[in-house]
Amino acid sequence: MKPYTIQLMICAGTGCVSNQSFEIKEVLEKEIKKHNLQNEAMVVTTGCNGFCGAGPIMVVQPDGIFYQYLKVTDIPYLVEEHLVKGRPVKKFMYVPPKEEIPIPRMNKIPFFSGQTLVALRNRGMIDPEFIEDYIARGGYRALAKVLTTMSPDEVLKEIKKSGLRGRGGGGFPTGVKWETCKKIPGDRKFVICNADEGDPGAFMDRSIIEGDPHSVIEGMIIGAYAIENVREGYIYVRMEYPLAIKRFNIAVQQAKDNGLLGDNIFDTNFCFDIKVRRGAGAFVCGESTALMASIMGNPGEPRAKYIHTVEKGLYDCPTCLNNVETWANIPQIVLKGADWFTGIGTGDVTHDPWGGSKGTKVFSLAGKVNNTGLVEVPMGITLREIVFNVGGGIRDGKRFKAVQTGGPSGGFIPESLVDLPVDYDELTKVGSMMGSGGMVVLDENNCMVDMAKFFLRFTQDESCGKCVPCREGTKRMYDILYRITKGEGKEEDLDLLEELSNMIVESSLCALGGSAPNPVLTSLKYFREEYLTHVRDKKCPAKVCRELLTFSIDPEKCLENGHGCGVCEKNCPDGAIYGEKKNVHFIDSMKCGKCGVCFDVCKFGAITVE
Amino acid sequence: MINVNIDGKEIQIVEETTIVRAAESAGIWVPTLCYSELFEPYGVCRICSVEVIRGKRSRIVTACNYPLRDNGTKILTNSPRIQTIRKMIMELLLSRWPNVQIIKDIAEAVGVKEPRIKCLERDEDPNACILCGNCVNICKDVVKANVLSFENRGIKREISLPFDEKSDECIVCGACAHVCPTGHIKIKTLGYERGALQDWYLGPKTAINIPTLQAVPRVPIINEEACIKMQTGGCGICSTYCEPEAINYDAKDEEVEIEVGQILLTTGYQTIDLKQMPQYGYGRLDNVYSSLEFEHMLNSTGPTGGTILCKDGSVPRAVGIIHCIGSRDENFHKYCSRVCCMYALKFAHLVKDRTPAEVYQFYIDMRAFGKGYEEFYKRLLDEGVNMIRGKVAEISEGYLTNGEKPFLMVKCEDTLIGKFREIPVDMVILCPAIEPQFDASNIKKIFSISQSPDKFFLERHPKLDPVSTMTDGVFIAGCAQGPKDIPDSVAQASAAAARILSLISLGEVAVDPIKAEVADEYCSGCRICNSLCPYTAISFEEEKKVSFINDMLCKGCGTCVSACPSSAITGKGFTDKQILAELEGILSV
Repeated sequence: MKPYTIQLMICAGTGCVSNQSFEIKEVLEKEIKKHNLQNEAMVVTTGCNGFCGAGPIMVVQPDGIFYQYLKVTDIPYLVEEHLVKGRPVKKFMYVPPKEEIPIPRMNKIPFFSGQTLVALRNRGMIDPEFIEDYIARGGYRALAKVLTTMSPDEVLKEIKKSGLRGRGGGGFPTGVKWETCKKIPGDRKFVICNADEGDPGAFMDRSIIEGDPHSVIEGMIIGAYAIENVREGYIYVRMEYPLAIKRFNIAVQQAKDNGLLGDNIFDTNFCFDIKVRRGAGAFVCGESTALMASIMGNPGEPRAKYIHTVEKGLYDCPTCLNNVETWANIPQIVLKGADWFTGIGTGDVTHDPWGGSKGTKVFSLAGKVNNTGLVEVPMGITLREIVFNVGGGIRDGKRFKAVQTGGPSGGFIPESLVDLPVDYDELTKVGSMMGSGGMVVLDENNCMVDMAKFFLRFTQDESCGKCVPCREGTKRMYDILYRITKGEGKEEDLDLLEELSNMIVESSLCALGGSAPNPVLTSLKYFREEYLTHVRDKKCPAKVCRELLTFSIDPEKCLENGHGCGVCEKNCPDGAIYGEKKNVHFIDSMKCGKCGVCFDVCKFGAITVE
Repeated sequence: MINVNIDGKEIQIVEETTIVRAAESAGIWVPTLCYSELFEPYGVCRICSVEVIRGKRSRIVTACNYPLRDNGTKILTNSPRIQTIRKMIMELLLSRWPNVQIIKDIAEAVGVKEPRIKCLERDEDPNACILCGNCVNICKDVVKANVLSFENRGIKREISLPFDEKSDECIVCGACAHVCPTGHIKIKTLGYERGALQDWYLGPKTAINIPTLQAVPRVPIINEEACIKMQTGGCGICSTYCEPEAINYDAKDEEVEIEVGQILLTTGYQTIDLKQMPQYGYGRLDNVYSSLEFEHMLNSTGPTGGTILCKDGSVPRAVGIIHCIGSRDENFHKYCSRVCCMYALKFAHLVKDRTPAEVYQFYIDMRAFGKGYEEFYKRLLDEGVNMIRGKVAEISEGYLTNGEKPFLMVKCEDTLIGKFREIPVDMVILCPAIEPQFDASNIKKIFSISQSPDKFFLERHPKLDPVSTMTDGVFIAGCAQGPKDIPDSVAQASAAAARILSLISLGEVAVDPIKAEVADEYCSGCRICNSLCPYTAISFEEEKKVSFINDMLCKGCGTCVSACPSSAITGKGFTDKQILAELEGILSV
């Protein structure tokens, strides 16, 4: 068989699929056939490429030409120019913000060049629905190494040495967790992959599963081997990830068909099998005890963890639960060695497993940056590098205000701390957390009170309601924030908020409640002035809280630029704008519903908001 | 054993003891709300939060479920940090449920008077559900019925039944209501029909009870329908508490075969179904009772403790007692039930004794025939009981225009004065007829005895042999033979027992020599005789394929002899040959 000379790697992650990447693939194949190139060019659907903000994305290999924002109608032109005439098409290439010359090659784009790929090393390179692709890229070699040349203790030692810490949020040293689980006596133990990624705006786990499911499975098999007495594994995926569930199921089946799961793997006497379980999408089911309750068919509610799950977890058996990204790191560590892994990151973990943060971390970069998407960066990289280098800076040249890390349980990190190295301990020190890796960049147009309210609304809605502090407390906090954004706040509310937050953090049953007040606590800590402006002056500096805004018409601009056109009057739903044609118009603040329609319709910038 | 320090007190406890228990043994109070000894600690109210210090690390944990494992653990149950947490939690709870007593109590104990927080979900109900989860946990862990659960999440969380409907899985044990700290869960009787009493009971109806105070033997039994263990496999508390280990959940009803020589049938009677006579309104009108129900009310361990009360709780102003309901009645039973006159007089006496009510007796004829009975009747007349001779035609509900409570109007013809009368009363007692048990005919078949036309069992001879039946070894006594009062029943039963004992003391029974016998060689095995035998003496021998006559049961009646189509059965001493020879002898003279 003659090898293909050109591979068209089209992204089939959820973001690009919803932007018609499957349709693009069909048209591509049709066009290739039309030009009789079907023996030369192959179309490959890959997992998420990471640069989701620019989707749908296609990378032409082996040159690595990067195309973005593709449309079905562009394809015939692209095929003709690039494949037939050999001229890469500039208009579909990436152009850095404020520049005009496009960057043709993917690895030259700062978004990609600033990253270090470990968990995502196969992204955009393989078709996740084919185990052969994964094996061709060195997949299951780690498993072969483990099963044929290493004892379980050696594997455990290697993982402990690597200093890998849980990527799901808590940052618990993985090796320590495995060791504890291994030490607890028991004939029946479990490993679980937590793929119940619920943070709004976070999609690291989804992308890993959709792009490279076998790496997770391989990691789990290695884990089961190291912990010993583990014959069953569960993957808990939320129902909202249909593509991830599909690809996991395919991957598990393929692994079974190839003898990588089931009895006597690699002709050793090691047996292990994996089942995929779908969760109904409750955020709290990302909490290990709630997740296990859900797998067992009980309501997804957490329990007190005074007796750890490694001791008494699923079906009261010792259970080792790790996050998708953690599992995906395992094969690489085994293959390349712990020393390679500890070479990346901060701190020293040779004596204290909590002593540093090693390896890389995948973040989903979102918010007001130019390049949004999935980025994998080494631990210890500064926030500035992520936001301004990888992320390409703030959109529309606005001023950078803060970064919110760790999803709804994390906190805000202000501009003053932008040179903070990103690792578990540094983030916790400033009141935020690594979390599962959500990273939302905020600019001057974001109101901190409103953002805190947004995240709290999410957590209080997702609270299972089992314990009093989380159920009652978060709702009361939300009520207070809601009042503040409505202009009904009082100064003592801020103290009450703080008091409530501290109580909830200290006395909640599980980590959901324990971290829910973080956005409020950090925003109060770093942006107290903004809160005070809301409660004292009843103003929103970022002009987000509508109830606190006053709309008025600049008479000069209205008359000189617009000649009293009256468009605002026509569109005002409240009938709050008065004025004769060709004369200055004005707004009756008593009637104004603060909808902002006038601001949007005025072509002359005569409406001012304060 | 490990040593821990609670609030400065050094105590020694067993490993894995929870802090709540440890604090209790140290005499330190930790507030709890959702904690109960009955099930595994749920740990959700967080009011029992305490500070645990191990080495340099201090941690807030819940005292109810934190197991103490390490020697030298230090616990602070009332540090400033803990006080702030408790106060804040109570503020949250108090702001939502300001009138629930248990919340008010704990709030006061931790020093919260007025919450600073305004709650949008405020619930003023003093019996509101505070989501402590006690009911869910007891149903899940102890009862194991798993009927109750939480639904929705967050602030919308609430307790519910599956699909919000009455669940068949609920065994109505009432455990949830028992553990509910606010009285939100109540046990209610549904399906109460007007005037219809619930199944009447003779003692407290718990899962374990002594059936009646006069029960013999007087030991408790487990009511299978109410026992949680038997319904769901949960609970089992009684067996853990019973020191002599006398509780056996596996004991079941079983059939036992006993070989006996004599049988005394005393299967008793039943009272007539009063609903057959709609004119009396039984089951339809309030305060119309049968005599047994009224007897139950009179009982000092009965539902009213022996006080005579109407259904609305008031004392009746007048009571009517109606005789001969179904007895001496062409439509039901022609016979007299014999006991009603006297117990009706007793009722009248007790009503007079316990209430100021007027009593009316509606009778056809007063039959005070026993020893001392007539004297009692005379005494009652002196007590001022109104005796009205006449059969009651109808009982209906009457209303007064002034809105007073309705009464019962008894309509009858007073045959002594020849006038139609309507008498208002508050309560009516019906004296139902005594009739044979509904399944008396089955008993009759089993024992091959006979029934008289009134369906009571027939004695061999009304005067000469009143306790035995036509079947040897089967005796009858009491109301199974005919309506009787207690003295008569006792006398008859004693007589029957004496008859049986006289046979037992002989050690043998004399039987009549006149029997039928089957000639095996002629018997075709048609089995016609088997069903014809009135004494069930003939059975079929499967091995020989012939019929066989039991000599002890055969009375020599000859039914089978004449019925046998192949003339295989002959009467001993009455063979054709013998009869012909007898005839010849007579004719030869």
